[in-house]
Amino acid sequence: MSLDMNKVVLSVRDLSVSYQARRGRVRAVSRVSFDLHAGETLALIGESGCGKSTLNLALIRQLPKNASIDSGSIAYTYRDGRTINLLDFDKTAMRRYLWSECSMVFQGALNSLNPVLRVSDLVYETAAAHGIGRLEALTRALTLFEQVRLDAKRVFNSYPHEMSGGMRQRVLLALSLLLRPQIVIMDEPTTAVDILTQRSILDVLKQLRAELNFSVIFISHDLAVAAEIADTVATMYAGEIVEIGPVNDVFYRSRHAYTLSLLNAAPRLSAGAETLESIPGSPPDLIEPPPGCKFHERCAYVQPICRTTPPPMVAYDSGAGRAACHETARVLADARQKV
Amino acid sequence: MVTDGVQTMTTTARPLVQLEGIYRSFVKDRQVIPVLQDINLEVGENEILCLVGESGCGKTTTGKIIAGLLEPSRGVMRVADRPVGDYRGREKALLRRQLQIVHQDPFASLNPAHTIGDILSFPLKRHRMTEGGAALKRRIWELLTMVDLTPPGDMVNKYPHQLSGGQRQRVSIARALTVQPKLIVADEAVSMVDVSIRITLLKMLLRLRQELGLTIVFITHDLALAKYFAWEGRIAVMYLGRIVEIGRTPDVIAHPAHPYTRALLAAVPEADPELTRHKQTIALRSDDIPRLTDIPPGCAFHPRCPFYTEGTCDGHTPHLKSAPGRNQQVACIPVQQGALQGG
Amino acid sequence: MIGLETVATPAGLIIGAICGLVPLAAGVYYRKIGVGIGGFIACLLSGFACGLIGGLPMILLTYAVVVSYAYVNRQDPFTSRAALEDVSFEVSRIEQLQRAMANLGITVRASWKALTRNKAGLIGFIGILFFVLVTTFGPLFIEYDGAAHMDRRTPGSRALVAPPSAEFPLGLDWKGRDVLSHMVHGGQRLILTSIQAGILATGIAVILGSAAGLLGGAVDQAITTVANFILTIPAFPLLIVLAALVEFDSDFLLALLFGVLNWPTLMRAVRAQVLSLRERDYVQAAMALDLGLWHIISREVFPNMVSYVAVNLIFTIRVAMYSIVGLVFLGLVPLREPDWAVMIYTGRQQGVLFLPQAAGMLLSPIIAIALFQLSLVLFSRSLEEIFNPRLRSGV
Repeated sequence: MSLDMNKVVLSVRDLSVSYQARRGRVRAVSRVSFDLHAGETLALIGESGCGKSTLNLALIRQLPKNASIDSGSIAYTYRDGRTINLLDFDKTAMRRYLWSECSMVFQGALNSLNPVLRVSDLVYETAAAHGIGRLEALTRALTLFEQVRLDAKRVFNSYPHEMSGGMRQRVLLALSLLLRPQIVIMDEPTTAVDILTQRSILDVLKQLRAELNFSVIFISHDLAVAAEIADTVATMYAGEIVEIGPVNDVFYRSRHAYTLSLLNAAPRLSAGAETLESIPGSPPDLIEPPPGCKFHERCAYVQPICRTTPPPMVAYDSGAGRAACHETARVLADARQKV
Repeated sequence: MVTDGVQTMTTTARPLVQLEGIYRSFVKDRQVIPVLQDINLEVGENEILCLVGESGCGKTTTGKIIAGLLEPSRGVMRVADRPVGDYRGREKALLRRQLQIVHQDPFASLNPAHTIGDILSFPLKRHRMTEGGAALKRRIWELLTMVDLTPPGDMVNKYPHQLSGGQRQRVSIARALTVQPKLIVADEAVSMVDVSIRITLLKMLLRLRQELGLTIVFITHDLALAKYFAWEGRIAVMYLGRIVEIGRTPDVIAHPAHPYTRALLAAVPEADPELTRHKQTIALRSDDIPRLTDIPPGCAFHPRCPFYTEGTCDGHTPHLKSAPGRNQQVACIPVQQGALQGG
Repeated sequence: MIGLETVATPAGLIIGAICGLVPLAAGVYYRKIGVGIGGFIACLLSGFACGLIGGLPMILLTYAVVVSYAYVNRQDPFTSRAALEDVSFEVSRIEQLQRAMANLGITVRASWKALTRNKAGLIGFIGILFFVLVTTFGPLFIEYDGAAHMDRRTPGSRALVAPPSAEFPLGLDWKGRDVLSHMVHGGQRLILTSIQAGILATGIAVILGSAAGLLGGAVDQAITTVANFILTIPAFPLLIVLAALVEFDSDFLLALLFGVLNWPTLMRAVRAQVLSLRERDYVQAAMALDLGLWHIISREVFPNMVSYVAVNLIFTIRVAMYSIVGLVFLGLVPLREPDWAVMIYTGRQQGVLFLPQAAGMLLSPIIAIALFQLSLVLFSRSLEEIFNPRLRSGV
């Protein structure tokens, strides 16, 4: 896998998204910034309601009608070096951009496939919409199906209901790569599948990534899956990215109290008898978020300053990542410090 | 105990529930689907037993049979050494209450039309668990306190839609506790709540087990969770309607015997980057799970098993037996014959 | 149902006034005089209209509302934030009863709020209320004009019908009678018969549908077969044939016949609902808790389909009303005046269809029926908000 840290494919700056609910404006995503490099896999992890799905929808400009992007920019760099702001795109430009530059794999594999269309229909339609000939589409699809370890010819002529959940998920993965996009966004792709199926999807994904060299934004609540495939991990809490850094830094040298608490709440198979601590309370109301650090009400490291002042984003000493926590030093001292 | 050469692993504690040769099938589109085949299982008093497996392995059906929500098609279920069919009248009603279930989906398990106070008061009133209004209210408060929903006064007049997923699961547990059960089947009870809240719920269940002497049958597809929760209990691994391995949790997790268990454990990613990336995975011969209507002969796992031995695995159906050098029981003929050491 | 056709009587007025004293006294006692007076008026009207049948339930509702205002700030140990050790739940019987009343009152107020929040529903409610008030209390003020008035003929005109005038706001009918008096006196029977028919059809549908869904097996088979059989019979033509054979001198008989012929569609919907609700986790939990079949039907399943049933009830009432009007229009039911449908029938019989000055006579009942139907449709919009606790609380 060639991770090119010099080439930024997607650069998100200060992105804020809110939507209108009956009770008021929900600030679902606030001031999110990150860079996605060529060949990089970025895992966005967080619990339900942390804003990761809204962020995902904002990145592909598919937000529901009652949502609006309040600020920020999403800069995308084409293979030829041109850079554009996605927020300036109209609908037509966005349609061209999706699939050919950035594609998506969603959670419910059954719902993402139209039950009355064969896989071949999907392949031809997607290709035709982006000006690719049938023969070219066929060759590409068959190669991709081989790469995701499917019986290519059989799958190509199948209807969705003739395949198992794992097969469908792999078909979707292959289809998402049909137009050779630079970015694939995956929203909980392994959540509703069984362990062995998840394993084969992860293996296939790793292999494809090495062969085809695309970037992945991987949205998940599952720390273990993120640990397995991510180069970079971003923890989201209450609509903000509270920590982002190389996977080993985030897992072994967590700088944010929330990241560490989340890790300490996840059971590990290999650990024998363990003592786990869960995070008390529940995520804050995003209509009226608490002052200061949004995590302070549930935080074990809370100090008076956390209740009043929002912590600034501070870069790691290595410069490879950053975290927004007043108590970085104490959190780091408690972090697992392996490797 | 022994039936047709099949041993049931006995527990150290007095058995509360025993399943003997349980079969269960459903009919769908005029096809008979055998969901459970020859399940032999004992759950001891105050024990934690984890049923793990992938979807379609029959763990939920087993749970429903234990909770009394489904009848087995064949086989006998005993509670306190008496076949369930022998219970009559008031005893039968009492038995029914002693086996409770907590469902997976916190959004579907509470009736949206009733307040939390009502939901808890229905079983208390129906079975006259308390005397009079004041005692009823006190009991509701006690139950809410027991499941850490405090202050209870804030909860009683709320509707389920006003609570978070974790809080609803607590209400579900409190509701199961109203009738003072001996056993609770927790069917994926925490898989739909957030990671950060799961552990509190599990700790609470463990505490209730201690305080009330409960027996817990915990059904999950998450091996790490099963390991954490049932560390002091046992794990039964199920595949296509049969138990393939059962034993004390540390034995099963650290030294899995059945090839299926090994494959599962090797496939689980871990929240530890270095470890999970260097984990030795086991390549299966096939990724496709057979349909329940078309279960392979012999050992159902043989078409996928990396240790498949021709003639043995596809010809004979393995039964749970202890294997040399193993503390647990396993339904795999090569392992029983002493092959496939390690794991 | 039979005998509900009460026109406001002096006895009713007295009953209403006596009933109204209860919320009024409670209002004075709890220093919520405004609410008390409101309760008094509500009781007075419903007692006046329906006697005890209207007055007694209204006492309960209005009293509950008054108590709920009084109890809104009173600390209930059950909902206090105190710790378990510090709380005594021992309260007197009366206090318990009062709290139950207060809870009922809170539900009534929340339902009322939900009703007023939905503008369309509120308009529908006001429309229904208007027709009920006019047909109930109107007769007090407008005397029934039943005999022909040859003397009212406009000089030079060949017919007695006349367009609206200052003296007769809706004009005169073919016998020279006041149309307004017929409108006021002739609506109650039609409305009540339609409601009876709707309730009967819905009641049969709910009972049979629940039975089929919950009991299954042979019961389900039998009910479904009968329903399918009835569904194949074209109901309105059958009504016509039956009406020709049977003398429908009783409104209840008519309503009953409509009910018997119109339950299958709703029954199948209810059965499907019950079948899906039966599989819900909370119903399974209720079975594991051994709460009993009756509890499962009445407390677990029914509350979750009550808004659906209510909307269908309204719908069935509408269909029933059109069917009855249709039968009358075809002259297949014994005609009894005053009646809106009979007005349309005689209008056609007497050939006034072609007289422009008969517009008042013909259009009045037609518009009234249309408006009443519209009110029903609008009102049904807010039923979901009233019965669903989630929507009711306005989240």
